[in-house]
This record gives sequence, structure tokens and C-alpha cells, in this order.
Amino acid sequence: MEYRSSALKDKYLRSRKIPSTACSGCGLGINHKIIVQAVDELGLRVDDVIWGTSIGCAGRQTFATWKGDGFAGTHGRVYAIARGLRMALPREKQIILTVGDGDAFGIGLLHLIHCARTNADMTVIVSDNLGYQSTGGQFGFTTPQGAKTDSSPYGMFEPNLMSQGIDVMDILKGAGATFLARHVSMDGLRAVESIKKAILNRGFSLIHMPYPCPTNFASRHLGSRNQVDIYRWMQSHSAPLGQEKADTIWATGVYRDISNSRPEFSELVWGSVEKIRRTGAL
Amino acid sequence: MKRFLETGNFAITEGAILAGCRFFCGYPITPATELAEAMSTRLPQVGGVYLQGEDECAALHLCIGASLGGMKAMTATSGPGFILYADPYGWALGCEMPLVVVNSGRVGPVSGITGAPGQGEFYLTRYPTQGGNFECITLAPNSAQEAMAMVVEAFYLSERLRMPVTVLADQLITDGFEDISVPETESEMKEMGFRFWPREHHKGPDFYPTTDALDVPPVQMGHGTGAICSDWTPTEEGYDTEEVEAHHRHAYRLIYKVRNNRRLFQFQEKKFMDDDPDLVVVSYGTPARVVNTAVERAREKGLKVGALRLITLWPFPDELFSRQAKYLVVELNWDGQLVREVQRAASKDSKVHFLGVCGDLPTAVELNETFESILMNKPLTRKGWQLEVW
Repeated sequence: MEYRSSALKDKYLRSRKIPSTACSGCGLGINHKIIVQAVDELGLRVDDVIWGTSIGCAGRQTFATWKGDGFAGTHGRVYAIARGLRMALPREKQIILTVGDGDAFGIGLLHLIHCARTNADMTVIVSDNLGYQSTGGQFGFTTPQGAKTDSSPYGMFEPNLMSQGIDVMDILKGAGATFLARHVSMDGLRAVESIKKAILNRGFSLIHMPYPCPTNFASRHLGSRNQVDIYRWMQSHSAPLGQEKADTIWATGVYRDISNSRPEFSELVWGSVEKIRRTGAL
Repeated sequence: MKRFLETGNFAITEGAILAGCRFFCGYPITPATELAEAMSTRLPQVGGVYLQGEDECAALHLCIGASLGGMKAMTATSGPGFILYADPYGWALGCEMPLVVVNSGRVGPVSGITGAPGQGEFYLTRYPTQGGNFECITLAPNSAQEAMAMVVEAFYLSERLRMPVTVLADQLITDGFEDISVPETESEMKEMGFRFWPREHHKGPDFYPTTDALDVPPVQMGHGTGAICSDWTPTEEGYDTEEVEAHHRHAYRLIYKVRNNRRLFQFQEKKFMDDDPDLVVVSYGTPARVVNTAVERAREKGLKVGALRLITLWPFPDELFSRQAKYLVVELNWDGQLVREVQRAASKDSKVHFLGVCGDLPTAVELNETFESILMNKPLTRKGWQLEVW
């Protein structure tokens, strides 16, 4: 990669928060760098982006890392805050949310669906460590079937949003999301390209980015804290869309790109308000 | 001045618009639905936004987002929705985000009865979220006209103290039709005692002062100040921290910015209280209207009874109960909530009585009988309930 991490860091991130307090070998930093690189390749400045975060590993580790304005919501609520904020922000400002799988696909799914429904302009990056890892390693709603976690000691058997033919991407598609992609951390520049498209979409975009957790997920499921093991395991279970194998868990690539095909929410609302104010009717 | 025969919901809408509210996100619930409806009509006319949340929790979070972006925002609900505010209310307290929340009380618990008044959220408006380490402000009007004034006041206080403020009404106030005057000129607004405070954005970098200072502009996104705020305990710059000392300073700020600035918002109505009455009847909201009638009748009979109506419910005005007397607390609930605070605040050797009813108002006749029984030290019963002496 032509981008050196330190240059990106100096340009966009706060030295107080980087390096983060994430565990040794955590894949979150890779996702984080992929996002910042995409922002940089689009030529965005610090002031152009308002960065929101949630709780859990993916949320708290990225909170206030961005040099510009940033906010964090409680469990699952950052989407609703961002939708309200979208109404009040100047139109040219970008909202990027870095959140976790439990936050987005568990407690916050309702709010997420309504952001997709309204096509509110924001880019949601769901960094998925395959369960609730900051609380010690319980299963979540994208934990692979059969995975042993602290709360599924016999193997994960409950249907979730990535099992039995269910895919959370289909739910978001049905709700009206205009850009959807899935990448594992190891996708590198392919993920950067998807995030650039997501940010350029004037509407609701989401990128699902599973990343390796050597500490809680891998130690329980693979019986190893060696980071190489979990990176290899995730890579072997991921494949580009259309090249899936029998044991593929994560098919990676763009799931939907109908960018700029639906009215953006805040533009729609403000346009309607202006018309009502002037003429008394729509 | 324009006069209307309209509901409290109408009055609250007009008050909010006068105060500069340009964002309302609601969720339909009786008896606050008409407030949302009125907002959906009026806000676009003045260049404001009405949105509907996917639930009450989302509705208040959307308001937070709008306020975070610099707009004055409000939501309204009833008990079953207010309980879903626990999450965003806590966020707004912790991040010091100005907001106005209207709660129109109905009969509980749970969904209870939709079309009857209740006062079951007295304590809930004091503890609307988990965790403690904060003070809350609750204002309780007893008419449509006063509801308008209190909403204006709530916006004023929410800006100056940088926090959410609750207006606690009930079904009779929000749904009932009354004669309402809406001021049109600045002098009319001044005459009505309306106070206004503009939204200013913080310049950074210290977003979280540790003192009780008033008039610190709230954190705002989009001005390139590097503003940061979160649900975590903040450092003065807004960074999340696990340090207990930082928490101590933050908690001091959240508690004492309210306690030490109480002089700004101590509202109550006193009737026949100048001659140290033997019996003080304490109430808030709609029941106070019946209490006033009953106290007038009692005075006509020569009984030394006075009425104390609380408008500022929280922080609780302990000092109003320092005189030794007999107190009767009248509330729209059967379990007694306000009475517990009166009992706590009342001076030693005072006797605190409770008369509760819910979904219905006590009649003036019943109240007068109760006054006489208390003054003659006779046992009290009502609708088969033995009324307790606390």
C-alpha cells in the first residue's frame, strides 16, 4: 500500500487516542485504517466529517480518534442520533459511524432499518468481531453457527442473521438501503474502494466488516490466541461474491449499489418544509 | 394578543414555537398525540421539522441529534412512552444537551387507561434514567395557559443550564379546551413573563466544565471545533475516561449546576398562606384547581386552610414545608408519591395526610369533608380506603 499508516494518522487522527487500547493482534485497527484511507483518497478534510461511534470494542476504540467533531451514543442508538443530526447539519458534511455487530444487528437494528428506510445520508461501518467481545465473549447475531463462545459453550445453535439462508444484508436491502457491501479486514484495497463508494452515495450506506478477535473469540472457538490462526481461519472462510465455496461464511464485495437513486432524507424533508412554508401545501 | 378556545396541546405547540423550537420528533400516544399533530401542522409553516420516530426511544434520540446539530428540539409523550426515554434522557443529562420533554400523565401502571388523568410519574421525572449523580428539573402547569408559559420557560432553562427539562402535565391539561391567549409582540411576551435564550455553539476545546456555571453553550457538531461528547464519563475536553476523580467532577457539575441555580426557577402558587393556616393543602397540576375551590369554601366557613400548589416539582422545594402544621397532599394516584417528599421535608411534629385518587378528580365537597375531619382529628376514609397519616 502506498499509504503509510503514520501519515494517515497524523493527518486525521488524534495522537491521544492512537494507538488505541485494543488487544494485541486485534483486527479493528485494520478496519479503522481502511476507513481513514478511503476518506483520504476522496480528498476529504477533517472538518468535512462528523464521526459517530457506539459502544463495545468497535465503538469505544474508535470514539474521539477522529481529529474533527465526534460523538458516541449508547447501545444501539447512535443511528437515531445520527438521523436527527443529519437534519441539523450542513448538507455537505459527511456522517461516518463506526459501530459493532451487537450494536448494529442486535440492539440497534430497528433504528438502523429506519435509517435505511428514510435513506438518511450516513455511512455505517459495522466492524464485526463475531459476538460480544468487550463483555468477555458472548455470541451475537452474526456469530458463525457452531462457534463456541462463553455463552454458547456447546456451540452456537440459535438461528441468527447470517444462518439458515437469512442475511442481514437482505433485511437492509428490503428496508431501502442504497449501498451495501461486506468485506473482511484482509480485503484491503477492495474494502477501501467499497467505502469510497459508500461515502459518495448521498443516502444510507452500510459496510459489514468482520474482523479477527484473537482474545475472546479465537481463544474460545479456535483454542488459540495466536493471531495468525484467527486471521487464517477468517481468510479461509471468506471469498469474493460469486466465488463462494461450501465452507464460505463471508461472501465479500458489493451487495447493492443503487447510489443516488432515492431521495436523500434530509433533502426530502427540508425541501418539503420549504414548499409548505412558501405555499401552505405540498 | 390572540385568543383561542383550544387545548393544552395547542398552547404547548405555540409556546414551543415562540421559544424557538424548530424540531419535534414524536410517537403517537394518547393523550399527547394531538401535540404531535399540532406540531406537524405548525412547524413547517415556520420553517421547522416534524418527524415521527420508530418508537419513543428513537424519537428522543432524534431530538438529541437535532440539538447536537444546533436546533432547539422537543418531544412529547405519556407515561408508557416516557419510560422509553430512559436511555436518551440519560445521554442528554450526561452530555448536557438542551431538550424539552413534555409528559402528559394518564392512568397507570403500564398502559393503564388512555383517556383519564393520572400523576404516576412524579418520581420518574426525578429519576428518568439510571445511574444517579444528577439533578433534574420538572415543571408542572395546571392550565393550558400555564402549560404554554412553562414550555417557554423549559426551553429557557434547558439552554441556560444545558440539560433536558421536563414539563409534567396530565390528560386534562393537554386534552381539555380552555381560553388561551397567545402573545404576538415582544411587549406582550414580556408582560406574560416569557423568558428566552438563544442557542449558541461551544467554541471548545474544554466542553465539560467542572463548576456550577450557567450559560455554557452546549457541544455542537459541524463547526470544526473538534467537539466530542459521549455517553462515557468525560474529561473536560470530552474524552471518555475511567478515572473516578473525573467522574466526581462531572457529577458535581450535573448536580450543583441545578441546585446552586435554583433561584432561577422556583415557581409555586400560594393561596391563603399568609396567616399560617392550620392545614396546608399541597398539590400540583389539575387537582390543584379543585383544591383552590375547596380551600375558598373552607375559608368562607372560617376554617384556617391554605393551598400550596407546586409548579417546580424538582428540585423539590423543601423550604416550603419548614413550618410545623398539618399538611394534606392531594394527588392523582392511589400509592402516594408527592406525599413522600412532603413527609420528608415537613418539619418535625407536622402531620402529613394523603388523599389520592386516579383517573378522576376529587370533588370540592369531598375535599371540604376531608379538611374538617383532619382539623377535628377524625379518621379519614374515601371510597372504602382508609386514608393514611404519614
